Amino acid sequence: MGDFAGKIKVMARDQLLAWLDDLAGRSTLIGPKPVGEKILYKPVRHSAEIALDFTKTDLSAKEYFLPPTETILSMKREKKGFSVEEPSLDGEQVLFGLRPCDARALRVMDALFLDKEPADPYYAERRGKTTLIGLACREMGEQCFCTSLGLAPDEANDVDLMLTEIEGGYAVQVVTDKGKALLGAVALQEVEGVPPKPIVHQEKVPILEAGKWPEHFDAPYWARLSDRCLSCRLCTYVCPTCRCFDIRDAEVSDKGIERLRAWDSCMAEGYRRIAGGHNPRPTKAERLRNRFYCKFCYYPQDFGPIACVGCGRCIAQCPVNVDAVEVLEGLAAL
Amino acid sequence: MSEGRTALAMNPYRPSLGTLVGIRDLATDIRLFQVALDDRQEGKGGFQTHPAYRPGQFAFVSAFGVGEAPFCLTSTTRRGQALEFAVNKIGTVTEALHRLGEGDVVGVRGPFGNWFPLEDMRGQDVILLGGGIGGAPLRPVIHTILDNRADYGKLTILWAARLPSLLIFKGEFDSWRAAPGTELHLTVDQGDETWKGNVGLITQLLEKVAPSPENAMTITCGPPVMIKFVMLTLAKLGFAPEQMIMTLEAKMKCGMGKCGRCNLGEKYVCTDGPVFSYAKVRNFLESY
Repeated sequence: MGDFAGKIKVMARDQLLAWLDDLAGRSTLIGPKPVGEKILYKPVRHSAEIALDFTKTDLSAKEYFLPPTETILSMKREKKGFSVEEPSLDGEQVLFGLRPCDARALRVMDALFLDKEPADPYYAERRGKTTLIGLACREMGEQCFCTSLGLAPDEANDVDLMLTEIEGGYAVQVVTDKGKALLGAVALQEVEGVPPKPIVHQEKVPILEAGKWPEHFDAPYWARLSDRCLSCRLCTYVCPTCRCFDIRDAEVSDKGIERLRAWDSCMAEGYRRIAGGHNPRPTKAERLRNRFYCKFCYYPQDFGPIACVGCGRCIAQCPVNVDAVEVLEGLAAL
Repeated sequence: MSEGRTALAMNPYRPSLGTLVGIRDLATDIRLFQVALDDRQEGKGGFQTHPAYRPGQFAFVSAFGVGEAPFCLTSTTRRGQALEFAVNKIGTVTEALHRLGEGDVVGVRGPFGNWFPLEDMRGQDVILLGGGIGGAPLRPVIHTILDNRADYGKLTILWAARLPSLLIFKGEFDSWRAAPGTELHLTVDQGDETWKGNVGLITQLLEKVAPSPENAMTITCGPPVMIKFVMLTLAKLGFAPEQMIMTLEAKMKCGMGKCGRCNLGEKYVCTDGPVFSYAKVRNFLESY
């Protein structure tokens, strides 16, 4: 599946909006929604809330699989000891308007949370209950470099259904059975032709293969680069593949305790510090280096995929212009 | 999925419940906690009692309301049913554990990580070097060797602490000394009015004792700086990197290689370790 073979199935724009309204009535529908000046993936009740014309959302969709904070266990103080309950997670959800980079990011996280045993039950549950409707990019955004990472702005393989904007509507590719089931009886019009290819920036960012990174580990480059880093952690929070987390308890009532899991960041000073004070990664240079090595050297060795999809959000959000593309180019030039 | 087991029963984040059946002071701010697992929790994730845990492995202990932290298992299955943890009061979870008393309930999940290669060490002399709370993971090694005494050669234990009051498992020293083919050497960085033994770093003691590297294996556990200098001293005494085993400590949240906390380069202390040979560690990109 995935190829058009000269024929496309078309969903008219009105048809799409009606279908999305229908989906919103039957399940939790999450879509790109304008929030202030930003576009964010948010639960929506009506198709009118959804932005169809956008480059990419300011945050990725990872929060719907690994929430910024979630309760993983609830404990209750009993007369003797505690009882432990596990949360019932949200029901079926449909994620509409997922860009190919964000869809690929889920595959990257799958390698860790699903494929490496034991599977993470919370991530697995949410992933299984979510149907992904992709929306191809018309043009790569300013900071996008997905094509350097083997992706295409109209890559359909990581979603259940793929939509590509055409004159008056959307070309629909059914990628999985889950996608087919979601589409149900929506009548698509079959026409001759192929959808337009996205506008791709041709310059490729050089990506050093994982095995080549260790030779640059001690390069003074990292100290120079990190001079301006504020350790603000924005890069890790906006990254669709950064997945580090913390776990701690919170007292929520007299008898109630919740065990919370929350996003964490390797850019924080205390991230590796152990009780007693020893910190194996005490400098900004070491922490910034770790982030890049995690993505391009360690993660591929440990779990398979490179942990970067070229979405460029870390570049857009960094307050001091630490630019991943510049780093990758700088490294290749060392 | 087999009957009686749901997806949630397999949750690796869910601790088994256990009761503190014994608590005793080991040293200043260091206590031994004995946990009896609640039988009714069997098979519900948490602490897996089958297969048996091994010396070197660790588990997360929950002080409910504060959180959980990883601790090495300082007991052996052969010597008792209870799981034992030596806890140094030094952070939020350990402070909360120290506030608990006998009869209180904690959570345990594990065991995690690899273990000391005790099977491969049969027939060889064993030298153990423990610094401070770092002696905790070595205690099950000592118990295993003493309980299978004929399987191993000479056992030399070098046991160190900053102060005499910080030496752990003092109550067991006599039984270790009394065991056949076993030597215990103590040292402290700084003595006090009652201390009549060695004063000095464990590396100085090691040079003095100077164990032979022939047909011998070493296991070191202690603060990172101690491990670093013990490795240098062992090398000076003629030990090869393959003969130097260590166990490393790291901040961890999951124990399953997922939370990202404990990486040393592409290695995870929780799943690739915590037990490593110096032959491997010296080639790691990042230092511990």
